[in-house]
Amino acid sequence: MKAAPNHAQSHDAMAPGPSEDAQVRLPPIRVRTGANEVAGFLRETGGARTGGFVPVTFPARWLALPAIRGLILQLIGGRGFLPVHEAQTFAYEHELRIEADYVLAVEARRTAKPPRLTLKMAVSTGQGEICAHLETVLRIVPLNLEPAS
Amino acid sequence: MIEVGTEPAPPDWPKAGDEIRAQNFGPFAREALARYAAVSGDDNPLHLDPNAARAARLAGPPVQGMLMLSCFEPLIMRWRRDLFIARLSGKFLRPVLAGEGIRVSGRVMRRRDVPRPELTLRLIARAQNNDLAILGEAAVLYKIPGPLS
Repeated sequence: MKAAPNHAQSHDAMAPGPSEDAQVRLPPIRVRTGANEVAGFLRETGGARTGGFVPVTFPARWLALPAIRGLILQLIGGRGFLPVHEAQTFAYEHELRIEADYVLAVEARRTAKPPRLTLKMAVSTGQGEICAHLETVLRIVPLNLEPAS
Repeated sequence: MIEVGTEPAPPDWPKAGDEIRAQNFGPFAREALARYAAVSGDDNPLHLDPNAARAARLAGPPVQGMLMLSCFEPLIMRWRRDLFIARLSGKFLRPVLAGEGIRVSGRVMRRRDVPRPELTLRLIARAQNNDLAILGEAAVLYKIPGPLS
């Protein structure tokens, strides 16, 4: 396997070919556990309790942030490929609190063989205290773009 | 922040082999997938667009894996309220298609009492046809439940 170049920079400056391994680290991203967003997430995921807490899986929501979504789309190879969730891990040092600000550190690694994209995210307070680690493994699936006959 | 590990295990602390009673979630209609997409940001067309699902060689849009993985938290917290989920992981093994539900269950695989009460749980989500959809694991710690737990 080829050595993965370490692009510790904005993904805008990085454009690996689809058959290359690649590693990218995004600049820190500020996120917030807004009460409305937490309540909506809880409502749609069968939340058991009366609220007042952030669900364990809530940080997966941050995968949809524009910077992370853009990184995923770029690293899977663009149009013609879909990311399919293969595995997910959440590991907590501390519970997240509602209506609190956090900082996300995001690192992505794409391998060509097998075609996978792995994102590692660390959630920390503004003071640098780590609260949680996430790992997301996406299988990169080529789409069958031929029109149906 | 949550304080765990300062209390001994309660008398009814589970032991290895104890079962977590199975619960049903869903069925997840396409509207539920769209609502989850709205609150989670996971609007991957694979889950929302039958044409995209077909292009990925699926018979229909699959339920978002994170939506199903999120069902483990209410499963655990309905079983016992005195737990902090320190780690939750899952491998997505088989797609569950829109319109289907899942049956989620668990078992205590390992119990530790020192240095702090901790359980390792094996978690399983099965599709309607009994296919294994998610194989999961959680590490949970004892905590004294709060008034909102």
